Amino acid sequence: MSSENKNFFLVKNVMLMPGKFPSINSRSMLKEALDRMTILKIGICCVVDNGQLSGIITDGDLRRRLLEVQKPTSSLLVDDVILHAIKNPISITINETIDNAVRIMESNLIWDLPVIDEKNKLHGLLHLHPVVKKLLAI
Amino acid sequence: MNLKIVEIGYGKVPKIKVGAKMPLAFIGGPCAIESRDHTLKMASSIKKICDEVGISLIFKACYDKDCRSSPDSFQGVGLEAGLKILEEVRSQIGLPVTSDFSNPAWAKATGEVCDLVQIPAYLCRQTSILKVAAETKRVLHLKKGQFMSPWNMKNSVRKLESFGSENIILTDRGTFFGYNMLVNDMTGLPIMSKTGYPVCFDATHSIQMPTSMGNISGGQREFIPYLVRAAVACGVNLLFMEVHDDPKNAKSDSNTVLDIKYLKKILISAKEMHEKRLELEARFGDQSVK
Repeated sequence: MSSENKNFFLVKNVMLMPGKFPSINSRSMLKEALDRMTILKIGICCVVDNGQLSGIITDGDLRRRLLEVQKPTSSLLVDDVILHAIKNPISITINETIDNAVRIMESNLIWDLPVIDEKNKLHGLLHLHPVVKKLLAI
Repeated sequence: MNLKIVEIGYGKVPKIKVGAKMPLAFIGGPCAIESRDHTLKMASSIKKICDEVGISLIFKACYDKDCRSSPDSFQGVGLEAGLKILEEVRSQIGLPVTSDFSNPAWAKATGEVCDLVQIPAYLCRQTSILKVAAETKRVLHLKKGQFMSPWNMKNSVRKLESFGSENIILTDRGTFFGYNMLVNDMTGLPIMSKTGYPVCFDATHSIQMPTSMGNISGGQREFIPYLVRAAVACGVNLLFMEVHDDPKNAKSDSNTVLDIKYLKKILISAKEMHEKRLELEARFGDQSVK
């Protein structure tokens, strides 16, 4: 595939739309974030307040927090999700190309990117699987 | 999260602001309304002590004690008579008042009189109780059930918020430790304050030994001063104590109520401890050591 073809695909054309990926507000419980991740079978939850991206929490973040936070699991689960979220996550803007998005994923060893605009409004989630599917279909 | 400041009191009684860096406030009175004369006498006596100490008082006495161990125990003067007496405390003594309620049908009337509406610990997660409590639009005093973890009180707070409550106070009154025994876990106080609402410590129920005397509860009154100092040092915004002029003959909670003769020194100690805590926080910043 030529780089011309790859650039033809923009993030906004491949991203998952709101409702199709887990999102939750800052003051929701961590448990509720995990529930949404389980239901939608995606290991990342975007923390969103009034449409703005406040942070993300991923399976990996939770794994690290489990070892770091030495309090009962029942207490951890009711914490405000924002307490355990990554506040300035790596993200991508809506008009970027897929090519650039994949490079960011590869260099950071991640497979999800919140898609935002210049005002930090969350528009979607770029998940690696649909990207791969799209690229393989070419 | 910044701690909210809530204001207790409506009409002509003093308005008391609690929370954040406000002065420590006191909720106190006999467990039950025993009679009109006794209630007015207690309100007047406790007010005099609080005025001398310089601490704001919300007078507490309940019209119905629905959780007695024995059917023979005094259950109270009842809703109508009790609220009439509390109205007199407001108008004659000039104090904001509070009582709990244990029947959803009593909430509206309780909220029409009381400045602060108390939700009993045993009922702290009952949706029907929380809903009607919120509908009173008064400041709500939600006591942590002895069976509840402090972090799980967030669920009850959320229920109240979902019913429109914005002004809530959370109180710790001890936690069940096996049978007939409570323990006081001071870490529960900062944990509950994470909800953003002011937190209170109930020093007389915390020393209770539930139903340890066969058909009534016992208690270890000697620990009250220690627990008061510990809780205030931990940063509570209010202190709750049941007070009586004749504990042995108190009609409710006779083994745990504080004798009024000790009230002044305990309140002075608590007030100074609170002021010291605020001073230390101003000097050293927040409590984070992580």
